[in-house]
Amino acid sequence: MMENLSPNQRAWRRFKQNRPAVISMSFLAALCLLVLIWPLFSKPALAKLLPVGMTHSPVELTDQPFAKPDMTYWMGTDVNGRDLLSRIMHGARISIMVGIVGALVSLIIGVLWGAIAGYLGGWWDGSMMRFVDILYALPSIVFVIVLITTLEELVKGWFTNAFGADFAQYSRMIFLFVGIGAVSWLTMARIVRGQVLSLKNRQFVDASRSLGAGPGRILFRHILPNVLGIIIVYITLTVPSVILYESFLSYLGLGIQPPFASWGSLIAEGAAQLNPVRINWWLIVFPAITLVSTLMALNFFGDGLRDAFDPRG
Amino acid sequence: MAIVTASTKQPTGIRHWAVTACVLLVLLVTGCRKLEQRADLIIMNGAEPESLDPAIVTGQPDGRVAGALFEGLTRFNPKNAKPIPGIAERWDISPDGQTYTFYLRTNALWSTGEPITADDVVYSWRRALDPLTASDYAGQLYYVKNGEGFNTGKTNNATGKVYTKEDVGVTALDTHTVKVDLEGPTPFFLDLCAFRTLAVVPRQSIEKHGDRWLMERPLPTSGPYNLDFWHIHDRIRIRKNPLYWDAKNIQNEIIDLLPAESATTALNLYETGEADIIWDKNLIPSELMDVLKGRDYVHTYDYLGTYFIRFNVTKPPFNDVRVRKALALVIDKERLVNNITKSGEKIASCLTPPGMEGYTSPDGLGRDIELARKLLAEAGFPDGKGFPTFNYLFNTSEMHKQIAVELQAMWKKELGITMELRQVEWKVYLSDQSKMQFDTSRSSWIGDYVDPNTFLDMFMSGNGNNRTGWANPQYDELIRQANQERDLTKRAKILHDAEVLLIREDLPIAPLFFYVGVNIFDPAKVEGVHQNLLDEHPIWNLRRKDGRSTSRPSAQKLAASP
Repeated sequence: MMENLSPNQRAWRRFKQNRPAVISMSFLAALCLLVLIWPLFSKPALAKLLPVGMTHSPVELTDQPFAKPDMTYWMGTDVNGRDLLSRIMHGARISIMVGIVGALVSLIIGVLWGAIAGYLGGWWDGSMMRFVDILYALPSIVFVIVLITTLEELVKGWFTNAFGADFAQYSRMIFLFVGIGAVSWLTMARIVRGQVLSLKNRQFVDASRSLGAGPGRILFRHILPNVLGIIIVYITLTVPSVILYESFLSYLGLGIQPPFASWGSLIAEGAAQLNPVRINWWLIVFPAITLVSTLMALNFFGDGLRDAFDPRG
Repeated sequence: MAIVTASTKQPTGIRHWAVTACVLLVLLVTGCRKLEQRADLIIMNGAEPESLDPAIVTGQPDGRVAGALFEGLTRFNPKNAKPIPGIAERWDISPDGQTYTFYLRTNALWSTGEPITADDVVYSWRRALDPLTASDYAGQLYYVKNGEGFNTGKTNNATGKVYTKEDVGVTALDTHTVKVDLEGPTPFFLDLCAFRTLAVVPRQSIEKHGDRWLMERPLPTSGPYNLDFWHIHDRIRIRKNPLYWDAKNIQNEIIDLLPAESATTALNLYETGEADIIWDKNLIPSELMDVLKGRDYVHTYDYLGTYFIRFNVTKPPFNDVRVRKALALVIDKERLVNNITKSGEKIASCLTPPGMEGYTSPDGLGRDIELARKLLAEAGFPDGKGFPTFNYLFNTSEMHKQIAVELQAMWKKELGITMELRQVEWKVYLSDQSKMQFDTSRSSWIGDYVDPNTFLDMFMSGNGNNRTGWANPQYDELIRQANQERDLTKRAKILHDAEVLLIREDLPIAPLFFYVGVNIFDPAKVEGVHQNLLDEHPIWNLRRKDGRSTSRPSAQKLAASP
């Protein structure tokens, strides 16, 4: 029964037995692929081959405001007559991009901070982790809102000077990346620090040190690769929370600015349509379904990974 | 339930019990909030007001509240918005139309019980003109002799001295008589006297509290209502002023004015019985107008209101008239009124709406995409190349945003230029516009009186409501001339020439459409909301027909359902 498998191979085997996680992974892969190739569909050469419902542009205004979902507009249109399906796909780009970049920012800060604190120990460890505690105590969403409202004009000015005016319209997006990333690294730092603390007294670290390796080499060559599994797990759990953050900010009108849309701003537009006279249900139902199913898939996927990498399993 | 487990006989247990009880009690007390009495009328009033100071307010939502608290020499007839006696009981007009003598009511009192005197009127008008008050609406008093001189700090050529407040042509002849000398015959002067800027404000509390005088409680008021409280982003509650001279005709004891920026929110509150009237132009649920128009609680009417875009002419590239023209020429206004606003609005090429007696506006620019592209190329931006990204300022509202998205797409498609949307809340919107912190901005103007001058004089250079940076001496001269002219036909001709400068030659603005008024209220429950050209609905005239409801309607509904 004992096969000679590496820990990663064993983890992959365990992961494959977890049905929800595998389904979620396929869903996410399909979504990412679709989102990536979606803009190609509106190219004339390809558009001829495809059903008309897949070939709309997210920014093109038409004369059919509030069209119900039908064969032309699979998910209906909004008040300006823009196709909702293509807007959701376009929104997915932004939501997923914010999710991934935000998670990466949190990864870099969190791993470095936690690893250094854990490895140095003593006074450094104490003060660095107390700093994390202080940031934990701040309401992070309020922090991001304050950051956006106070610094945006300033940064926009810098961008305009440095890269020209056309680039300035992306400043809000960059703010979202950095702002959300900057508040979601705290848990990552704690987890990494805990792991490093337990690993740094292990024999292989002593062996490496006795062979003359410096702290940098020990940290990056020997300790961090051993924390990798848990980092990957945690990253997959950070992505959905960052997407949710962004959706929340966009819902408040502080996120992505029109004509760009994200899932949050699409839901906000749909929610504005809820009234007792007439409900254009597709405007809220489709974006909400997309957001919820993506967040659930990311969570199942992350949970599956965690179970798979858990050595007790 | 935790209390039961703690009821052991040990002293520590008793102490625990006592502590738990105290904590629960505190939680209980903090959880309670005095149930406020439901107001007799609840009105969805539009955005949260910037101020309630009659001299400061510029927006409609702000003005409606200020108008309920402070009254002027005249007030609006609720039916047709013509001036009728207010604090002044009657008046004499000199044959040349340049001197007015107002006789104040002897029974006009402040809510503190003191009489409203001629000195109060003089003080209020001088204050509105005082440069230190910084009123954007000071222009309403430029028709009073030396009003403009005092407001702009000019020097009197005859004496060589700077105009002071004593030079302003308003004087108290005795405690209840005010004499007003005008610069010229001003046919709409009595209308102006009903306008908020000219309302009578409490001198003593302003001198005592300075800028914070509105915080004084009880706030001394001269109008039909007192201010009960102003909870920001919750409600403004006003209560009948029993000392008002016409108090016997005021029907409602308490009125709540709710701030809302979302038309859907307002409609939801109305439909659930939490609001009785919706009357702000920003709260029209335009997307639903096709359905709503047939319902008996939706009242549509024409009034003097124009929706337009302001350009900031002090900033490149909008300092170039060709750029402004190009942008104006490509706007598909038909699409905006058919797809977005949907209440039957008429598209506008000029600023002054139809409906002014004896005045016909000139035709402005139409839609000509070829010409627009040519003009943009001449200005140095062929196909929009090199045109900087610019912003479009607007206040939070679904409709404004939808229009902004349309404009953004039209300009991008036809001219290849990129516009960014800047949506801000009402107060920020007003202050950014007034500080000229925008490139282009959504704007609207509602007539303050039935005369083209109310639309045209605000674009005189230096007028606080100009807000484009545009200054054209020829235009200023024409408006001044018009208001000195006694022959009404000639006057209309001069105003016409001025408007040509505004909408055909220089274009500091691009008109989009004329508003259609929409009031939402149930005529079986509420009366006194008359639809008139100025969109004025004096609060003192509102009546609730079905008697006072003292409990919240939602509670009634719950009780009624089995």
